[in-house]
Amino acid sequence: MKIYERLMTIDRRIIYAILLVVVTLPLVFPSVLKVTPMTPVEKLFTAVDNTPDDKALILDCSYAPQIKAEVEPMAIAVLRHAFKTRKKILVLSLYVEMIGLATRAINQVVEEFNSVAETYEDSLIYGRDYVFLGWQPPPIVPMLGMGESISNIYVVDYYGNQTDTLQIMQKVKNYNDISILVALSGSTIPISWVAYAQNRYGLRVGVGCTAVSGADFYTYYQTGQFTGLMVGMKGAAEYEELVEANHGVKGRRVASEAMLSLTYAHLIIMLFIVIGNIGFFLHRRRK
Amino acid sequence: MNISTDPWVWIASILSLAILSFLYKENPFFRAAEHIFLGVANGYLVTFYWHRILMPILFRPLFQQGDLLLIIPFIIGMLYLTRFIPRISWLVRIPIAIYMGYWTGVLIPATIQAKIIKQVQGTILTAPNFQSWNAGTMGIVWSVTVFIGVLCTLSYFYFSREHKGVIGVTSRVGIVFVMIGFGAAFGYTVMARISLLIGKLQYLLGDWLGIIR
Amino acid sequence: MKKRIPLILIFVAGLLGVISFVIPHPSYQVYDEWMRNDLLRVLSAFAVVLALGSLLRVHFDKIRRKRRNWQYSWLLLVAFGGSAIIGLFGGVAADGILPTTVRSFSFDIQTLYENIVIPLASSMFALLAFFMASAAYRAFRVRSTEATLLLTAAFIVMIGVLPLGYSISKHLPAFVQWILNVPNVAAQRGIVLGIALGVVATSLKIILGIERAWLGGGE
Repeated sequence: MKIYERLMTIDRRIIYAILLVVVTLPLVFPSVLKVTPMTPVEKLFTAVDNTPDDKALILDCSYAPQIKAEVEPMAIAVLRHAFKTRKKILVLSLYVEMIGLATRAINQVVEEFNSVAETYEDSLIYGRDYVFLGWQPPPIVPMLGMGESISNIYVVDYYGNQTDTLQIMQKVKNYNDISILVALSGSTIPISWVAYAQNRYGLRVGVGCTAVSGADFYTYYQTGQFTGLMVGMKGAAEYEELVEANHGVKGRRVASEAMLSLTYAHLIIMLFIVIGNIGFFLHRRRK
Repeated sequence: MNISTDPWVWIASILSLAILSFLYKENPFFRAAEHIFLGVANGYLVTFYWHRILMPILFRPLFQQGDLLLIIPFIIGMLYLTRFIPRISWLVRIPIAIYMGYWTGVLIPATIQAKIIKQVQGTILTAPNFQSWNAGTMGIVWSVTVFIGVLCTLSYFYFSREHKGVIGVTSRVGIVFVMIGFGAAFGYTVMARISLLIGKLQYLLGDWLGIIR
Repeated sequence: MKKRIPLILIFVAGLLGVISFVIPHPSYQVYDEWMRNDLLRVLSAFAVVLALGSLLRVHFDKIRRKRRNWQYSWLLLVAFGGSAIIGLFGGVAADGILPTTVRSFSFDIQTLYENIVIPLASSMFALLAFFMASAAYRAFRVRSTEATLLLTAAFIVMIGVLPLGYSISKHLPAFVQWILNVPNVAAQRGIVLGIALGVVATSLKIILGIERAWLGGGE
């Protein structure tokens, strides 16, 4: 077999094996990579940070289990940020298959904070500091309906409590009481928030999305329809960095830990593409 | 190394490996895991539709609190089930028509506003758009570039006329923008896919095998 | 009648949807809220009943006729039945009549979700990394100027968004941001505008009864 043929026909199992090794080794032998936040993530962080005391923020955890690795670190970072700065927060999911992930994220972060809380005031209390609204279908119902009344849409919360009896909900009635909604999603849900809730009620929308949607979403970020934007695992790592650097929140930074693996994997894929093209050029020259 | 003793972690890991075995080839373990996924995911769905929708929104208000207006959605909703009765299966079109019609109607003005008017507003050459870049005079250059890029991209996708003359030139410029856009999207897609693999390995090597913390 | 009634209904419902957006008058909003919050929400729940009915019918049929790989349908039905019983009687937050903990072993619906649905779904997507790497190696050939442009942009974005980009040059991440904000936005916006016009046109065709594929076959 000629050299160019070899370069162009590497067995797929070899590619798989190399990729697996390249991704695994940096996880087993970790090394810290400094993450520098980019402007779209900084804008989102600032918008959440500037939530006034008389307003709440909404976290929409509409990410499916398939993309958990990319988006869950974002949810955890935003929750840590909100809880540390004592912002009132309402959490929801727009699809049923995603609600369990929101439950996981909330349980994890509440446990983190409450395990070190010393007084009742320090603790995160359900209904006083946060509410898990759960899920109501189809997505457009909460998107439009919460502009009039949040309690009318979410009659009961995730745990079955009447939402209008919860302490937060005495002051948070509709979008007028919301400073920003952070939509975490792997689909076009953030655009729907803009199309329905922002157009009609002027709700500010910040976004955390999978890297696949990243390039598409920049057009909405550029028009200001998205207040801020974090893209993929790198975006999550940037938000983790901002939360730790600005508010001293210590906790496992899953996305930041992955940066070295991510870097090596990118390099190896680029190398494979280059090898394939070298073979292609040699082959073409022969012809 | 600190292997998990939690039976659920073992179940989750074995199921994960069954799916990953597809890399070798399609096999009975993969098929079994696939069917288990569908079964449990739908069981989960039923749970939430019953406890969080049908009970609090329909059955409790209708049958316990006597909100008789809900009889209308109840009857129209039941028409969905006529799909299983061939003689009257056409009635399924009624709830579909109402549901689809309303959302389609809502979609039209929302799309025009969010995806057409706002996008055009962000493209036209105005002072606020120049300033939005925070780049001084270069803001004007970037705005003009976006303006030209959008027009040229649109002309590239305009197939009602042959790409000759002016349209030929603009569509050739358009393809440059499109390729850069697709390149950026591809670059990000690589990141997305690798991230998902990393997430899986973090679970298997961390939560299950305890090799990483 | 079998087609005319649905076509009239879709026209009327579509019109009501458009009006809801342009008439923010409280008297109309009361009606609109009822339409959305009561009627359509309940309809969405019944649509799921229809979908589940179809899924179960397909698998019962597969078992009855002993079609290829019919044994796996049993697995699906058992997994569905088991999790539905646990969820329906055990409750959303393990608050139902069915106990979902035996000693320290929990099997409530959230536990099933976290340990069966999440790992299976995430594993399916983890596979894509391997396929993507292999496909990129095989198919990404610099055959033309356009392909070169695409590959160059991809490589710059790949390196520039990572921490490595900042190590190479602090200007590289800024350049990537420029690519994403300027040429990328121009291209994506052109595409968004095209798609949006298509969505509006198709929606109008559906409401006006020109597009009738949703009616399905038959009379």
